[in-house]
Order: sequence, then structure tokens, then C-alpha cells
Amino acid sequence: MPKEASSRHSFIDAKVLARLSGLGLHARTPMLGNISGHHRSPIRGSSLEFAQYRKYVPGDDLRRMDWRAWGRSDRFYIKEFEADTNLRLCLIVDTSGSLGFTVDGVSKIDRMKSLAGTLAYLASCQGDAVGLYCAGKDFHTEIRPKRSAVHLRLILDKLEFMKAKGETGLAEALHKAAENISQRALVVIVSDLFIEPRILSSCFQHLRFRKHDVSVFHLLDQCEVDFDFDRPTRFVDLEGGEAIMADPSLIGKQYQKAITGYISDLGTVMRDAAVDYHRVNLQDPVGEILARFLLGRKPKKKGANQR
Amino acid sequence: MSFLQPFLLAALPLMALPILIHLINRNRHRSVQWGAMMFLVNANRMNKGMARLRYFLIMLLRMAAVGAIIFAASRPLISGNLGGFEMGKPDATLILLDRSASMETLDLQSGESKRSTALKKLSELLSKRRYGSQLVLIDSASNEVQSIESPEALLDLPMTKPTATSANIPTMLERGLAYLKANEAGRADVWICSDLNENDWDPESGRWSAIRDEFSKMKGIQHFLLSYADLPQGNLSIRVTKVKRRQTGNRAELILDVLLKGELGQENSNNVSRRVPVEFEINKVRSVVEMKLSADGASLLGHRIPIDVSLRSGWGSVRLPGDSNPLDNKFYFVFSEPPVRKAVIVTDDSKTGEAFRLNLAIPMESGLKHDADVVSSSDAEGLDWENTALIVWQASLPEGLIAEELERFVDSGRVVMFFPPGQNKGGQIFDSSWGKWQTRGKEDQRKLSWWRGDADLLANVGSGDALPLNELRIYRYCSLEKSEDGKAGTPLAKLSNDQPLLMRAATDRGGVYFCSTLPTAQFSSLERDAVSFYVMLQRAITIGSRSMAAASQRDANVGTREEFTQYESVAPVKDAPTVSEWGIHAGVYRDGDHWIAINRSLVEDNSLVATVTTIDQLFDGLSYQRIDDAVGNTSSLASEVWRIFLILMALALILEAVLCLPEKKVKQHQWNNFSSTDRTA
Repeated sequence: MPKEASSRHSFIDAKVLARLSGLGLHARTPMLGNISGHHRSPIRGSSLEFAQYRKYVPGDDLRRMDWRAWGRSDRFYIKEFEADTNLRLCLIVDTSGSLGFTVDGVSKIDRMKSLAGTLAYLASCQGDAVGLYCAGKDFHTEIRPKRSAVHLRLILDKLEFMKAKGETGLAEALHKAAENISQRALVVIVSDLFIEPRILSSCFQHLRFRKHDVSVFHLLDQCEVDFDFDRPTRFVDLEGGEAIMADPSLIGKQYQKAITGYISDLGTVMRDAAVDYHRVNLQDPVGEILARFLLGRKPKKKGANQR
Repeated sequence: MSFLQPFLLAALPLMALPILIHLINRNRHRSVQWGAMMFLVNANRMNKGMARLRYFLIMLLRMAAVGAIIFAASRPLISGNLGGFEMGKPDATLILLDRSASMETLDLQSGESKRSTALKKLSELLSKRRYGSQLVLIDSASNEVQSIESPEALLDLPMTKPTATSANIPTMLERGLAYLKANEAGRADVWICSDLNENDWDPESGRWSAIRDEFSKMKGIQHFLLSYADLPQGNLSIRVTKVKRRQTGNRAELILDVLLKGELGQENSNNVSRRVPVEFEINKVRSVVEMKLSADGASLLGHRIPIDVSLRSGWGSVRLPGDSNPLDNKFYFVFSEPPVRKAVIVTDDSKTGEAFRLNLAIPMESGLKHDADVVSSSDAEGLDWENTALIVWQASLPEGLIAEELERFVDSGRVVMFFPPGQNKGGQIFDSSWGKWQTRGKEDQRKLSWWRGDADLLANVGSGDALPLNELRIYRYCSLEKSEDGKAGTPLAKLSNDQPLLMRAATDRGGVYFCSTLPTAQFSSLERDAVSFYVMLQRAITIGSRSMAAASQRDANVGTREEFTQYESVAPVKDAPTVSEWGIHAGVYRDGDHWIAINRSLVEDNSLVATVTTIDQLFDGLSYQRIDDAVGNTSSLASEVWRIFLILMALALILEAVLCLPEKKVKQHQWNNFSSTDRTA
């Protein structure tokens, strides 16, 4: 499958998939899946993982009674086990014009496709459902999460033909996704987030309120932060707005002041909403970015914590 | 401020070059596809206040740097002494140069005189700035208008060399005015170089108002006074006031009166006991006498120097050690045997004539020869005009040929005294005529109410005592009437009713006196109180005989130049003036037995300096700037200041560079991911 995917979808690297396949995609919060899977569920189930004891109440299945505990304490206890379930991976990708920004031949939308596609592939491989939501204003796609290989191909095909165009509609898309995704899901947002942090804050709070595990890949290149220009330049808005003629020697300081404030505010927003935030430099390898993401989500072993 | 290369100022629009480059640069921009527009919009919104000001400052500094280069290339002149006086381009420049002896005061360190300092500065200034198509010099010695080729020539022209003359600034200004009118010069600068000697400026003269009026009618005339009013310290001047050859038997000697004067301000204790060696040189024989200098100067009266008996006439000099003005350290004198002092009394009254003859025939001192003749008015035509020093005319006033002959007699430097005739038959001469006889009855009416004791015939004697004129009684006098358009005379003595007893008529040379009474007892006590009468007549004949002497002293004056056509220069041997300048330099000239010594005038020794306020008032209402300079001062009237502009340019570029310096880069936001895994857990 990896070989096939890489041959059809150029944004997915087979080597990266091979490297990341052993890490696994984990949710930070319990998921409510409809089949058995690799993720924790808030519902007690029949797995081998012990969860807790609880007092017997009439009507409980007697097969779950822990007779040894009754023998030791003369009380009836029900022994409960963790339920393992699958998760819903909802990929919300920004397809606004600003994703067309390119540095050294690598555009943001390319990077977005790589990240989203690879994650979709990894989730699908471990039996999780994958859905796709596009946040472009003119191009709004909603593919609900499903587990089939055909569905994965549909998503990858969608990603393949995505183009950066128009203004961003991320804020509306996030609110809509928060409402439409009915159960707990892992929501992964890939965007340049060129929206006021206070607007984003309400979006993330909305997602968190719906008990989704939210992760963000923020596509922001270092050159956009440094603003390293040495002569007057005409900046053409990728989202179709009015072009700005500016002398970097004049406005460089103000630009950096503005972006510093933005990054600072965005950090506050992310922390407040408990968002798993990852800033992505366009020159960073996709494998490294995703490895960092996957490793950060790997559940800690209980034995290790006790030690 | 003026410029040596003003045409380069046409490049001033190049100051807009930075703006032009800025605009071109803006149009040469490259286009960048940019996503983070929200920060650019914010940055543009924030780009106000200091950042914009900084940018404008940078642009201004660049423009200033270009402007400074253009100004520096235009070679600007700044005139510190001229202050903020606007110096536009004149059509003509007139230089009025005071060449008087007092302008030769030296700065002992630099050796420069006031005149040479002024000339150098003017030459330097005018060579740097535009002086128009006409550069004209009017020097005080000749008062002639002379065109000059270039300012540099000022330093070498003979018309700018020192002379022993005095200056007459009003006359020079009048000449300049006439020149400007004749040439319709338009915009003109008039430079006056002077030491503000009061005599040279004559501030009380009525000519100044006319000069002011005429200049004020002309547009675009600017007056610059280059003033050297500082008094020299420790300067002494020497002068021979009287020289007489006296022969007694086989011995001959010169009797000299020498006057040594110090500059004003010398009344300090250092000079009280100062002794000054004075060197006399006669016929190449030198002798030195020390004169004790007091606060008022010093005088040496009756100094006798033996000479060879055979030396009937000749010349000599008296010299002081060098000081700050070399021109007043030497004085030439000439001497000859005194002429026979001949007086002629023209009267028809033998008694009166005898009274005059007795007082005129007796010489005041031994060695002098006096001769007095009495002739009737009818014989006046046959007078010996050539050999007569004094004519006493006590008859009806002459008319016709005799009157003309009398005027020529006076013009030659001799003296006529008119006394009223017993019977007035009318007539007028020297704008005066006799009126009616008046009688003074009361005793107090017969006395004199006033007489002039400081100069002329009734001056006090050498000891300072006044003549005994208060004892004089006038019983009858004849009123003196002036013609309406005649020149006013100078009264020398007045009666109690303010009528003149003795009046001097105004003449260029010689002397004409009118005495309104007669010496005999019927008219006055002149004959009885003979002292005053005798002194008056003897002084008159002394004045008249001066012009007859073979040796005469003259003040340096351009007017005397024509008289030297037959003369030869005797002294000074070294640096003798050219023939055209004889008469304006101190020296001795000879024509056979006739000698003439030329020296500076007495007023050049009296260093009275007019106050700057007085001088400023003379130019009241005119465009006028006074530049107070000092002798030996080497600072220029105007100097090139292109260096200042280059420094300004460098400063502007440095400031621009500082403002353009990129701010220290702070490494922007290392990648930090806000993973909230822990918090969520």
C-alpha cells in the first residue's frame, strides 16, 4: 500500500510512511469509536487492560463479579476493564490563497498535503476513520470520517487536486466542524492561521467544548517572520487583496513588531485551549514534523510513571 | 554671502536628486507573492510618527549633502566684518583712499600701516568678489578719479602710496558723486578707507548735508567705511615752527623753534620723564639734542645751530627715532637771509603817515632790515609792488587798476592794511567799504569789549600775556560796511557797541585787514599806547615778508605741484618722489636761490579722531556699513567658507548613515511548539 500510495500521490513519501508506521497515532483523550481499536474509550469494555472495581448493583452481569474479592472482603465487586476503540481523525485543511506561498520551490499547500495525506494514511492503516474538511472560502469540502481504503483514496485524491485559492474561511470551517463532528474525534488543523488570534480562540474553545482532541500544524516559514528584504518591494496578496508597495527599511521594524505580537497572542490562545500546536517551517522534513507530533502523543506507560 | 562661482548655483535643483532616486527606486521594485498580508497592513498602519520622521530626516540629510556640495563648489564668501550686509553685484566700485600722513601709522609687529592694511584687505576682498565693470580710485592726495584695471593693482599703484598731505573726505565724496552721476553707474559700492581724523572728515562742514542729499537721490549706492580709528601708542611727531638765519659779524647761525608732540593718551607717568633724542642735520652736519618730553609734548625755542657764514641759504632736517608713524618723525626746513621788510604807507595826511612810518621802520630784532616809505594816494600807481611786504592804505579805497594791483599783491602772499581816510569818498575793495565816522563820548564806550588773543595780529605774546589793549581808547571810528554778497570777514577786535575795530577779510593767501580808527590822538590812543600798535604793524609786515623770503615752508598739497616746474628735488635723496608727485611728499626743492620745504600740515600732528557716532551721523539715511578694523589685522574682510560646507556635507552623510543603520537583529522566535499534552493529561 505505501508503494502504491506514493506512486499515485506525489505528496506522500513512502520512506516517511515506513519510518512512521511503527509509531502509531494516538489520541490524547479517550475516543468514542464504534469498533474495537487502539485507543482508549470512556466506556468500560472487555479488554485485558484492568480499569477499576466498582460495587455491585442489582442487574449487573454476574460473570463480571470478582469472586476473589468477595472471598476476601465479603462484599460484591464488579471488575471493570478498559474498552479499546478506534478514533475519528478529522483533517481540517486550509486551502486559502495564502497557502500558495512558496519558499525555494516548496509551497505551503504542498506541505499541507504532505502532512494531511501522511496522517490520513497512518490513521487508516491502524483502522481509524479519516475525514477531510476544506476551509477555503470558495472551495468547501466535507468528507465525513470512514474507515475504508476506498475512502482513504477519495481523501487522498481530494488532497491531490486541492489548490490554494481565495480568502480563508478557516474560522467558519472550524465552527462548522465543531458542530458537525458528532462524536469525540482527533481534529488536526493544517493552516497558516492568518486570522486574528482572538477569532481563533473562540474556534478552538468551541472544538474543545465538543471534547475533541485538537492539534494544529501552523504553516509559517522563517522568512515570513524575519521579513528580510533590502529594497522596496511590491507585495502581492495571494488571497486576491490589494497589493502593498512597501519599503522594508521603513516598515520592517513595525512588521516584526506586529508578527511578534501575533505569535505571542497565538501562543496564549493555544495554551488556553489545550491545543497540540506545532509550527511548521517549510524547509523542515515532513518526517521529522510528524515524528515529533506522533511521539508527543504516545501514551506514557503506567509502569514507567510509577518508577 | 557671495560666491566666486555663482553659476554653479544653477545646479541647486540637483538637491532634488535623492527624491528622484527614491521615486525611481520605488518604480524599480520587484513583486513578491506574499501571504502574511495582515502583518504588512498592520505595519503600514504603525509606520507613523518617529519612523516616518526618521525617513524624512534621511531624505532631508541626503538633500542637504547634495546642496552642501553645490555650495562648496560655488566657493562661497562669507564676510565676518561685513556682518549681514547684503553684498550684491555692483556696477561700479569706488575706492576713496585716505593717503594722509596719519594713515602711515604702523603696526610694529607686522610692519603694516593703516593704509597698506586697508589696501591689502580691499584688494583681497575685491579680487574674491565681483566689483563691477568699473573699478575707480579716488585718492586723497590728488582727489582725481582714476580707473584701475584690477584690485591687485591697488597694491602697486603710485596713487596708493603714502603722502604727507591731508585728506578731505567731503571733497573725495563729491568727486565720487560727480563720477557716479556722469557715468550713470547705477548700483555702486563706495569704499572709504580712513583713520577718522577729524580734520580730514570736517564733520561740521555744511557740505555733508548736500552730499547726503545727493547720495540719497541715487539708488543702489552702498557706503562701506573701512575705519582705522585706533590711536598709535607712543607715537611722537616733530615740527620746526620757526627757522631764522642770523649773522653777527663773521658768525652765522640758525635759530630754530622745534615742537615735539606726543599722541593723545600719552599723559602717563612713563612719559613724564622721558627724554627724546632729536637729530638736526644741516648741510650734512648732524647734531643731537635731547628734549625732555612732558605730558603736553615738548618745545625747543630759539635753538641755535652755528653754520658757515658763506651758507646764505640752504636746507636742513630734524628727525626723531623711529616709532609707530615714520612720516611724522622727520621735518624739513629751509632758510635764507631775511629779506628787507619794506612797508609803504599810502596816506594824504603826513602826520598820520609819520606815525605809521615810525612804528614800521624800527625792526623788532637785530639783523632784520626795515624800510618804510610814505607816499600820497596820487602816487600810489608807482609803488614798488615787487619788493614791498606791507602796504598801509590810509586813503580813499582804491578802484580800477590800483585795486586790481592790490588784489594781485595780496594773492602773492603779502599784506594790506586799510585805515579809514579823513574824508570818505566812497569806493569798495575786498567786499568792504568805509561808512561814516562815529564818535565815542563816554569813557566806558571808548574801550574795547573783545579781541582775539589766540591768533593773528593781536595774539598774546610768547609768554602768554595779552597785549595791553584794555588800555586802548577809541575816540572816533569809521564804520565798516560789508557788501551783501561779499564774504564775511573775521573780526579780531570789537568795540563796546559790537562794531569791529579790526577785521580780517577772507582771502586765500596773504592778508587784508581793515582797522576802523587812526593812530593819532584825535581818533585813538594807538600812537600814545604804542605797544599794541607797534606789535600789530610788525606782525603784519612779518606775515607779508614771508612770501618774499627766498626760502619758504609749505604744507604738502596737490595744489602746489604746478609751482615746481622750474624746481629740482634736493631731499630726500633716497626714495625721492617722481616729478609728478612733487608737492605731496615731504622734501626740499630748489630753484636757484629759492628754496621750498614741503612737510605735512599741522593738523596731521593733531591726532583728533572723530567719534564713530559723529561719522555714522554723517551717513544718516544712506546705505552705510562701518567696518572697524585695526592696523596690522590680518583677518580678511571676506573669506572662502567652502570647507564649512564640506564639513556640513560630511556631517549630513554621517547622520544619514547613522539613521540608515539597520537595527540590531533579534533572532526571531525560535520554533517553540505549544504542546498542551501535559495540560490535557
